[in-house]
Amino acid sequence: MLLGIDVGGTFTDAVIIADGKVFAQAKTATVHENVLQGILRALDMVLQGNDSQITRVVISSTIVTNALTEHQLDPVFLAVIAGPGMNVKNKFPVQPYEVSGYVDHRGKVTAQIDWSKHTDLLNTKGKGAAAVSGKFAVRDPKLELELAKCLRKNGYDPVFCASELNGELNFIRRTNSAYFAAATYKLFNEFAKDILQALTQRKINAPVYILKADGGTLPLNEAMRQPVEAVFTGPAASVLGIEALVAPVLPAISLDVGGTTTDIAFWENGHPLMAKHGAVIDGFPTAVRTFHMRSIGIGGDSQVIKQSDGTYRVGPQRIGKAVAVGGKEVTLSDALITCGLVHFGDEQAACEAVGKFGEARVEAEKIVGNAVQQIMGTIDSMLAEWAKQPVYTVEDVIKGTEFKPEVLVGVGGGAPGLIKALGEKMRLPVDIPTGGMVANAIGAALSRPTLSAALRADTTDGYYIIPESGRKEKLPSNFGRKKAEQVLKEYLQQKTAEWNLPDQDVELVAYEFFNTIHGYYDSGEIFNLRMQLKPGILHKLTVVDKELNIDGQEQTL
Amino acid sequence: MKNTLGLTFFPAFDWYLSPGHPERQERLLYTRDQLEEEGLFDCEEIKEYRPRLAEIHDLQRVHVGVPSIARLITPAHLTSAGGCLVAADAVMQKEVKRSFALVRPPGHHAMRVVHGIRGFCTINIETIMVEYLRTKYGINKVAVVDTDVHHGDGSQDVFYHDPNTLYISFHQDGRTLYPGTGFPDEAGSPGAWGTTINLPLLPTTGDEGLHRLFDGLIAPMLEDFQPDIIINSAGQDNHFSDPLANMQITAQGYARLADKLKADIAVLEGGYSVESALPYVNTGIILAMAGLDYSRVVEPDLSELRPQDVRCNQRVDELIKQSGEIYFNRAKMQKAMMDKCNGVWTRKKHIYYDEEGIREEQIETIRYCSCGGYFTLKTAAEGTRFGDQSAFIVCLPRQACKKCRDKAHDEALKEKKTQKWMYVLIQDIATGEIETV
Repeated sequence: MLLGIDVGGTFTDAVIIADGKVFAQAKTATVHENVLQGILRALDMVLQGNDSQITRVVISSTIVTNALTEHQLDPVFLAVIAGPGMNVKNKFPVQPYEVSGYVDHRGKVTAQIDWSKHTDLLNTKGKGAAAVSGKFAVRDPKLELELAKCLRKNGYDPVFCASELNGELNFIRRTNSAYFAAATYKLFNEFAKDILQALTQRKINAPVYILKADGGTLPLNEAMRQPVEAVFTGPAASVLGIEALVAPVLPAISLDVGGTTTDIAFWENGHPLMAKHGAVIDGFPTAVRTFHMRSIGIGGDSQVIKQSDGTYRVGPQRIGKAVAVGGKEVTLSDALITCGLVHFGDEQAACEAVGKFGEARVEAEKIVGNAVQQIMGTIDSMLAEWAKQPVYTVEDVIKGTEFKPEVLVGVGGGAPGLIKALGEKMRLPVDIPTGGMVANAIGAALSRPTLSAALRADTTDGYYIIPESGRKEKLPSNFGRKKAEQVLKEYLQQKTAEWNLPDQDVELVAYEFFNTIHGYYDSGEIFNLRMQLKPGILHKLTVVDKELNIDGQEQTL
Repeated sequence: MKNTLGLTFFPAFDWYLSPGHPERQERLLYTRDQLEEEGLFDCEEIKEYRPRLAEIHDLQRVHVGVPSIARLITPAHLTSAGGCLVAADAVMQKEVKRSFALVRPPGHHAMRVVHGIRGFCTINIETIMVEYLRTKYGINKVAVVDTDVHHGDGSQDVFYHDPNTLYISFHQDGRTLYPGTGFPDEAGSPGAWGTTINLPLLPTTGDEGLHRLFDGLIAPMLEDFQPDIIINSAGQDNHFSDPLANMQITAQGYARLADKLKADIAVLEGGYSVESALPYVNTGIILAMAGLDYSRVVEPDLSELRPQDVRCNQRVDELIKQSGEIYFNRAKMQKAMMDKCNGVWTRKKHIYYDEEGIREEQIETIRYCSCGGYFTLKTAAEGTRFGDQSAFIVCLPRQACKKCRDKAHDEALKEKKTQKWMYVLIQDIATGEIETV
């Protein structure tokens, strides 16, 4: 049995999945100041005697997100080897200590670290966490590792190496990732320890995983080495939940309509689209991979305000329950009920509440219209952002990389009515699967590990490097694309074994090949590859026969 | 407006001229790596744009292809030209303050008439952009500063009769480098004399000589010309490490130039030191154009950098004097030349297409009128991919009056009747329509 826990802004959900269906589920209020407390309560509610058969636990929590947004960060000593190029002042959350030395774009060390310039660094005892990052360390990590070693010797612990956290180009993003990893390390570690202790007390000895922003799971002990990956996991869990429930095959837009917010994601071939760039944390771009999604402050419980010009503004504030279920002020849900788009609670009361603004039906349509308009605006800007992705080949320019949605998928409590209205406006068919009320926890329960790594080989140089491994190795004989793929695949498989992950297919996600010329005649080859464990979920839900209603009561369908 | 740069980056990783050619897939690979690693695309001062495909009529506002431009190009050319148009739109629609079309394939050796590829170029992407700016946005006065090490003979050809375009090219002296032209006395046809300014520099000229030339001549000419827009043909092969040329400019030299020039739109041209120069030069130009600190952009290996020869500054000083006289006295000279030519001016050209071994002979004739007149091109080329071919071409400038248009049509019909030409074509520069007679 698989246990999934999702800590959201409003609710903490837990589900147990067995034999392809939801075996037990629970919903409880999130305790913002004490996330762990909410988790334990949801856990106890859902377990009720099922503890011994749990084989895997996945937790999607706001612990890292909260720490970042509320600036509860540990001090970090950040040292960078920036070399020539852009001025990095103000590019990082803290002013970095700049270390001499340089690695160029081909991975050639063009200047060693001149330690005589850094006697201050060598002579001061350090303490606490540190992050180090070197430009082009993903092409050769030598200087970055040398710097990390020096800091460790001086007493810094732990020391995060940026190129090990992420093997892709972008010095600024890698550096910020390493900084945030160091800054959240202690907090996350304590959280992890508490979780393990609580599970042990409940006699659950199954392996524990943390959900990442890219929808993959990470073993808890690995997550301690890269805690920043556990940021923004709520939307990721929602996407995985949709994958478990429907996995749209047509190009689709999914909308997870909660009480407060709506999370919007794009789908192609049954998989959510990944963002081309990492997440922006506290205004700083990082290398943390996420889905191409947006959150907008519109949900079923959104406040409705009539403005002086007679138009309405829905959200972003949440004001509590709809009038139809005993609330005091008009919410978006009441307007949806009045429009006949959805049926629940005291429909008469909802109509009457909306009727205070004017003719109930007319005003309700205006309210829903505003919500739909805001969502469409967000979708438009997401489409525009997707369409602006860079293209580097003539083939891609001709082929185009536009995303053209053919269906809308709605999950979450507020979805049924709102998505119907949106579908009418966008002239797209609408799919509203059942079981969507705890989609996030289901997504967490069914998520699979993700692991990706890059390989770069430069035959002129005679070496290949897998940045995530921190190793630079001599090229084997007969090196070519096949060999390159084999080497990288073996690395991923070895890592999978180390992390005790289930066997998963490895797929090639990026490949570049260039003939290089030096001088007039000498030539070589450059290979750039990226491979990953196939992302997604363990399996789809086969049966959905229970649903939590709006009050968190389970009902059989 | 905020100091922002629109960057249209299109490295065309699947386009090359032939294996091992300087114009190969690898050319902007290291530049891409450097820009990505620097994190430049994340700077809020830099906005990224993707190229679109230009239309054939965009190309035909400049070019007359024989048999047609459509049969001479590949989609790559439409993309790099389209990249320039996107860059132009971003500036004109005030989305950004400046633009840089960091695109390939390049263009400044492509002349008005095209039989094939010369100097790595088939179509002239900056001139296409200039004519687009005129048609779409009504821009009139344009200054093009060509900072490629090679003389931009294609751009010169396109603008030679156009007094509203100030074309300034500095380059390594044509006696020592392809294409062998670009001397100060090539200064424009009578009606546009002094608006083509060629500044041939001696080999080994470095940052010092270049900036002496910019401060002493280029800046004052731009100040005087008062263009509506400044375009930079941003070739990067003046770099000290370039394998095709012999100059000694550094990334700092280029970046400072970009900073002083303040071009509204820059378009990449040549630059073939793909590993040692382009990553740094481009980073420098981008930072400078975006108004960011570029002082730290220094090549990691400066061992190949040589001091400039003492004669370099002497040449610069001569050019400042000689070309300054041509430019600042241009009104007087234009009048004298017009009086002398008596309404008709003709020149002969021999054009060699190095890439394909094509030899072209051209006779170009302008017939002046108070509207500016029109011009014709008689062209015969041997060894094109379509065999030997010939054409009689009439070009109608934007301002051509009704009388000139009628006269031009009559002339085309007359030539058609002689049956001397395989093609008789009429180019309407304003619309990009080419009529086959």
